[in-house]
Amino acid sequence: MEVYDIRPMLAPAISFACSGMVFLFGSNKYWRRFWMLSASVLKLIVVLSMLPGSLRGVVYVFHLIDFTPGIGLGFRADALGMFFAAVSSTLWVITTVYAIGYMRGEEHLVRFFGFFALCVSTTVGIAFAADLLTFFLFYEMLTICTYPLVIHDETPEALKAGRKYLIYTLIGGAFILVGSVIVFNATGTLDLGSPGILSADIGTQTLALIFGLLITGFSVKCAIMPLHGWLPTAMVAPTPVSALLHAVAVVKAGAFGLLRTVYNVFGVELLSELGYTKPLMWFAGFTIIAASLIAIFQDNLKRRLAFSTISQLSYIAIGAAMLTPFSATAAIVHIANQAFAKITMFFVAGSIQRTTGKTNVHELAGIGYRMPWTMGAFTVAALSFIGVPLFAGFITKWYISLGALESGDYWVLAVMIASSMLNAAYFLPIVYLAFFKVPPGTKMRVTEASPTLLVPTLICAAYVIVLGTTAEVPGMPFSLAQAAVHFVFGM
Amino acid sequence: MYDWPHWIIVAVFSPLLGAVLTPVVSLRDRRVAPWWALGAMTVSSFAASMLVIRVAKEGPFSYLPGGWERPYGIELRFDEFSASVAIICLIGWLALLYSWRYTECMHDMPKARIPYYYTLVLLNLGGMMGLVVTGDLFNVFVFLEILSLSGYALVAISGEHIAEMAAFKYLLMGAISSLLVLFAIAILFSITGSLNMADVTVILSKTTYTTPAALALAMLAIGFMVKAALFPVHIWLPDAHSIAPSPVSAILSGLVVKVGIIGMVRVYSIYNGANLLDLHVFNQVLVWLGALSIVMGAFFAIFQDDIKLMLAYSTISNIGYIVMGLGLSTNFSVIGGTVHVFNHALIKATLFFAAGALIYRTGFRTLTDLRGVGRVMPLTCIAISIGAISIVGIPPTAGFLCKWYIALGAFEAGQPFFGFALIFGALFIFIYYIRMVNAFYFQEPTRPEILELSEAPASMLFPTLLLAALCLVMGILGRIPLTFIEPAAARLLTPLGG
Repeated sequence: MEVYDIRPMLAPAISFACSGMVFLFGSNKYWRRFWMLSASVLKLIVVLSMLPGSLRGVVYVFHLIDFTPGIGLGFRADALGMFFAAVSSTLWVITTVYAIGYMRGEEHLVRFFGFFALCVSTTVGIAFAADLLTFFLFYEMLTICTYPLVIHDETPEALKAGRKYLIYTLIGGAFILVGSVIVFNATGTLDLGSPGILSADIGTQTLALIFGLLITGFSVKCAIMPLHGWLPTAMVAPTPVSALLHAVAVVKAGAFGLLRTVYNVFGVELLSELGYTKPLMWFAGFTIIAASLIAIFQDNLKRRLAFSTISQLSYIAIGAAMLTPFSATAAIVHIANQAFAKITMFFVAGSIQRTTGKTNVHELAGIGYRMPWTMGAFTVAALSFIGVPLFAGFITKWYISLGALESGDYWVLAVMIASSMLNAAYFLPIVYLAFFKVPPGTKMRVTEASPTLLVPTLICAAYVIVLGTTAEVPGMPFSLAQAAVHFVFGM
Repeated sequence: MYDWPHWIIVAVFSPLLGAVLTPVVSLRDRRVAPWWALGAMTVSSFAASMLVIRVAKEGPFSYLPGGWERPYGIELRFDEFSASVAIICLIGWLALLYSWRYTECMHDMPKARIPYYYTLVLLNLGGMMGLVVTGDLFNVFVFLEILSLSGYALVAISGEHIAEMAAFKYLLMGAISSLLVLFAIAILFSITGSLNMADVTVILSKTTYTTPAALALAMLAIGFMVKAALFPVHIWLPDAHSIAPSPVSAILSGLVVKVGIIGMVRVYSIYNGANLLDLHVFNQVLVWLGALSIVMGAFFAIFQDDIKLMLAYSTISNIGYIVMGLGLSTNFSVIGGTVHVFNHALIKATLFFAAGALIYRTGFRTLTDLRGVGRVMPLTCIAISIGAISIVGIPPTAGFLCKWYIALGAFEAGQPFFGFALIFGALFIFIYYIRMVNAFYFQEPTRPEILELSEAPASMLFPTLLLAALCLVMGILGRIPLTFIEPAAARLLTPLGG
């Protein structure tokens, strides 16, 4: 059931307006915090207010304006979009609090928080985009808005990383634009509101071209190898930005674009006839293993997390590519599962860096005694990634495996098992170092991170457990994911 | 009120008349000159807006000075393409306002020359207005010369040695192109015995003189290509546009090169209407030259440190877009190309105004020297950033529409290669704009004295910010120019009786 409602547009618009206020009045510390929190909290309220309706199967649509006849700015809050929006807005409130604590005393804060708030706006815009063009619009805006955040330190290294980031993502964007143009030329519409707008009579050559262009374009932000190069380099950014890039906005925008392409542009039926998703599966499977292997050898904590992100994101891609209901559920819920677990880890890395100045894994011996709560949160996230039951990551692995059995891709099971072991291989040593390997002569004194850093970390860690234990409770994101799956598979 | 028939004369002749009288009225006090020029332009703008309203309501209309019927008299023809008078007036008016303070900082120019500066700007604007509204081939040449000659002088006006060199280069290329246009018009006259464009189209469709007609087409095309600065006949543009005073650069880069495009559109409509020649080869040449311009313009721009030189090269790229759109000759691509005539004028004027404001305040013009200027001139730098985002074609700014439509046209025409070239060419452009944004905002100043400056004066800031706002608005309200230009594009592509 479609309802015409302004809220899908209001959610990005409110945070857009608030970010404008951050730029205007941001030089005062208190006003800056006020508008930043307004941006994220108000948006969360708007998004959550649509949640009951979404769970009942209501789709909120809003058409703002036509740029030109046929293409325009339209918003649509369907189950898949709501899922992404709910996850990102929840995380954003938490990240904002953390960022306020983390960035205390830094320079150029107006710019930083202004663009930070703009990213809030654009991410929800991506989630609620009703057509490919609106999607592309917010997708490119996100690229532009994150650039000043990546190069925030203004060091030559940061500028170089920023350049690399832009080159990768803008080339990806160009692929998406060309793909969209061809879709429009072939079908006369860009609407994302149906289970597939393309049909087989367009011709396999064009369809293959469209699939290649759109998937390649989105794979850049989704960091599927070999298009992942920007992500580890962008680690020079301040930690809240890394969390933002890796867990909430940028990479998820890419993953979400993949889901939209598979489910709403092509549609499951057409793709299973065409069989184009097989190569995507191979690439994703390769990325899961290869990125994990690289991660094992990283000593810098944030770099290790970065490669772990690359590996985890391909879960979404592989889940989407298998084209079965179970794997689709996994792909969608993994947006949330990975986000909460990974953001916990980044918060931990940032807290450690701010509190002790340590950035490398080998320096972390005994840190569990100094910062027990922080490292406890890290342990929860690590167990989730390994796929221990009761933690969020288990759900993903379970459903991907079910999907693999359903579609007959048994090799994916092997990838899942290998990935679990590799996750254990690069996360558990950190836990071990932190709690069990105390260098002689260390004083056992607890000096936890400041509350603005610690509380968001703990909330995220708690959420990882909640997601893993109560997935079936009505109203949890899981039910939204199932609603989305039912829609795209016509069940 | 809008249907008073004589507005078209008012629109064209008030800048021309104002130009002639500027030195006279400012004899006693040269500070009068800018206000007088602004007044003349205001009158013209009002008349132009009446004309645009009329064409929107009634469609194309003609005006016959003295009541002489065609083909005996001169015909002024106002169609949707002529509606570019609106953008000429807007940017012209703002450039005049902007010049008021800018001329003060041109130290090499004797102060006594200021009234003549305004004369030349008004002549240039009047010439353009005349060219876009005329329906007569010989008039095209006359107005082309008015605007070209005043253009050469404006490039040279600062009096620096290098400016004279640039102006001379511009003059050489420009004179050759004007001659080509004149010869071609003579050929067409000898074939058809008429100078009226509509008439020429009709007679051409009945003749069998294909070879001379093809020769004339080639000469007209090359002539206008030089004016439009299409690769490889662009070589005059970078120097001329970067050395001219900034408001003049805005006019030259935003408007004057577009007149070359409008000229091409007129030629195209004659030949396509007459359906005498097979235009496929011609179209392919245009498309390829367009693609080359996009790539070469962007490529050269990457290596520039001087901001105005960079902007000048980017004009070549953008002309490439427009010409590619015309050459693809599908409905979508022509709409995209012609709308970009308007939008690029807005964007490039924003950029040149903003760059001029930076130069006015700091006295520096290279990216290296201008590092960190975003901290002291935030508004100007916001304008330049908006311009940069627009010109790269990030939605929802004005530059996106043309990219979208021309790419769509390329796929519609079954030439996907050019769709790719267009969209990936735009990435090249981004590289050099990002360098600019980096320098202004994210790099430590190399000239610490920059940090003590203040924002540009209001009379320069207002035009800059207004145009920057329009860059955003025209993207969101893009359907207004698009639906406006649609019938004209459709007419351009249909042969007579076809």
